[in-house]
Amino acid sequence: MTTLTVEHVARIEGHGTISVDVEAGVVRDIRMDIVEPARLFESMVVGRRYDEAPIITSRICGICSPNHAVTTVKAVEAALGVVVSERTTLLRQLMVYGSFLQNHATHLYLFAAPDYVGLPSVFPLARTHPDVVARALLIKKLGNELTSMVGGRSVHPVTAVIGGFTAEPPKAELEAFAARLHAAADAAAETVELFAGFGTPEFETSGEMLALTSGDTYAIYDGDVCALDAGWCKPVEQYREFITEQVVGHSNAKHATVDGRTFLVGALARLNLSWDRLLPTARVVASRAGIRPVNRNSFMNNLCQAIELVDAAERCALLCERLVDEGGSSQPVGYELRAGVGTAATEAPRGTLYHTVSLDASGVVTAGNVSTPTAQNLANLEADMRAFAPTVAGLPEAEFVLSIEQLVRAYDPCLSCAVH
Amino acid sequence: MARVVVIGLASDFGCQVQMTNMEDDLLDVLGTIDLSYWQLASSGHMPASYDIAVVEGAVTTVEHVELLKQLRSTAATVLTIGACAVTGGIPGLASAGSLEKRFDRVYGNGGDTVAPGRISPLPVDEVIEVDYHVPGCPIQPHEFVATLQRALMGLSDRPPREPLCASCKMAENVCFYDQGRVCLGLMTRSGCGAKCVSLGRPCTGCRGIADDANLEAAQDLLARRGMRVEDLTDALTLYNSLSEALS
Repeated sequence: MTTLTVEHVARIEGHGTISVDVEAGVVRDIRMDIVEPARLFESMVVGRRYDEAPIITSRICGICSPNHAVTTVKAVEAALGVVVSERTTLLRQLMVYGSFLQNHATHLYLFAAPDYVGLPSVFPLARTHPDVVARALLIKKLGNELTSMVGGRSVHPVTAVIGGFTAEPPKAELEAFAARLHAAADAAAETVELFAGFGTPEFETSGEMLALTSGDTYAIYDGDVCALDAGWCKPVEQYREFITEQVVGHSNAKHATVDGRTFLVGALARLNLSWDRLLPTARVVASRAGIRPVNRNSFMNNLCQAIELVDAAERCALLCERLVDEGGSSQPVGYELRAGVGTAATEAPRGTLYHTVSLDASGVVTAGNVSTPTAQNLANLEADMRAFAPTVAGLPEAEFVLSIEQLVRAYDPCLSCAVH
Repeated sequence: MARVVVIGLASDFGCQVQMTNMEDDLLDVLGTIDLSYWQLASSGHMPASYDIAVVEGAVTTVEHVELLKQLRSTAATVLTIGACAVTGGIPGLASAGSLEKRFDRVYGNGGDTVAPGRISPLPVDEVIEVDYHVPGCPIQPHEFVATLQRALMGLSDRPPREPLCASCKMAENVCFYDQGRVCLGLMTRSGCGAKCVSLGRPCTGCRGIADDANLEAAQDLLARRGMRVEDLTDALTLYNSLSEALS
C-alpha cells in the first residue's frame, strides 16, 4: 500500500495535510490531517476580565475576527443580562456582513478560482484575467472598508464592546457606502455567473446540514439552529447537547456529529435552509445560475457563497440606509457585573459559530467554550473525501490531487479556527 | 530581485490577511519582490534558497523551532510580523501554569494524545536572531511595507522607542486616566497613531512594551490617582506576558 500526501495544502487558511492510502489503484483511506498546532484559546480566556474575552477570541481568526468578537460580546451580554439598542444590533449586523463580503471574495477568487482555470495562484490570473481580479479586489476591499467603517479596522475591529459601540461612522459615510454597496451587488452577480460557468463534479454529501434561521430574514446575527434533514430547530444555548465533539487521533481539531451523523455548515446549508428568505435580487441570480434547494453537492458551497455576496451587498446597502434614516444611539448601555453563563451564536462566513462564557461575580472568566464552523465541518469533509475519492481514482495523480483539493477548498476551511 | 518567503507559525493569519488587504497596492508591492513561497495565497513548495524570510506567529512546537533554525541558516534576513511573533502576543497567554492542564481543559482526557511536540509559547526572538520587527495585532500594512523596504535596502531596524502617549496627545484624545480608566498607552510602543484610543477604547498594549517605557513611573501614576496598581500590571499581561520588562 502506498500513501499519497499533500503537505500544507495551499490556499486555505492554516496548515492541513491530505493523506490518501492507495492499494493496487484502489483508494483504501483518505484523511485530512490538521497539523496546525493546538492553540488552547478556551483555556486562555480563563482568568481574564470579561471585557478582554472578545479581544482574545477575536484572535482565533484573522479572516473572521469580526464574527468571533461579536459572538463573544453577545455571549458576555447574555451572561450579564445586557440588552443592547436596535442601532447597536444594526451596526453589528453590518460588521458581520462586512466579513461575509471580505471572506467570500477572498475565498472565491484568491483561493478557489485558480483551481478552475488551471493556475497555481491569483498572481498569474491577474495577468491573464485582469478584469476578474479587479472585480474580486473591489468586493473584498468593500467588505474590508465596511468593517473598518463600523469597527475601526477590518482585522480585529476595535469599537464593538459589551453594550454597544465606542464610536460610530458619520451618516455621510454610511450614505456614500450605501451607493457603493448597490453597485457591488452587480459585481457580485457577475461572480455568480463566473462560478456557475465552472464545471462542478456530480457529488452528493451524505451529511446533515445546520444553520441559524430567524423569522423571515436570512439569519446571520441571531435565531435558532435548524437541521435540514431532521427538521428540528433548537435554541443555540443547547449547542453542546445537540453537537457532539470528539477528539480524533490524526487531528488537532475535534470532530463533530449531530444526531450521530456528520454535518455541514456554511453557505450551502444556509441557502438550503433560508432559500425563501434571500432578497429577491439574490434569488433571481441564484435561479439563473441553476441552483435550487435542496442541493446536496458540497462543491456548490462556492456558488452559494457567490449568491450570498449578492444578498449581503444588497442587505448592507439597506442597513446603511436604515442607519442614516433612523435615530437612536449605539453608545454602550450601562450594566452591572454578576456571575453567570452566556451562550451566543452567529453565522460566520464559513458557518455557525458558537461561544459560551462563564463569569464569576467580579466579571472574571471561569470557563469558555468555542465551536467553530470548520471544526464542525471537518468530519463531514473527511466523509465526503472518502466518498468522492474513488470516483476520481482513475485520473492521473496530479488531476486526482487537484480534484480532492477542490473539494477541500469548497469547504473554505479555516484550520486556525478549527484548532482554536 | 529579492526572493521572499512568508511563513505562518501559531497565529490567526491576521497579519498575512493584512498583507492581502493592501488591495490597491498588493500587486504593485509584490511586483518588486519575488514572492517565492506564500502558503496562504499560492500552491507550490518552499524553495531551497531565498533572501528574506517573513515570519508570522508564535513558536509553540518543536517543529517551529526546527523550521526557524532552517530559515535563519538559509535567509540573509529574517523579518517578524505581528504581536505573536514579536512579543509572544495572545498565544503567550498559554505560558502561565501547566500546559498539560490546559490540554486537559480543552481536549479532556484525550489531551495527552494531541499535538506531540507542543512547547510553552515563545516569541521568535527567543529562538533565533531577528533582523526586523513589525509589531502590532494586527500589523499595519504601511508599516510592513516600510520595514520590508528597509530590509531590501539594508537599513537598520528602527521600530519607534517611545510610548504612545505623545502621539495620543497629538491626536487630541481625552486621556482615559482623567476618567479613572486604565489605558496601556503609557507603556506601549508608539507607531499606531493611537488608533484605538481615538476610537474611544483604551490601549491594550498590542505593539509591545516601549523601550523608553517606565513601569515604575506608570505604577506611581495609578497610585497617585487612587487606582489599583495591579489593574495596570494585569492588563499588560494580555499581550506582554512573556516580556522581560514585566518579569
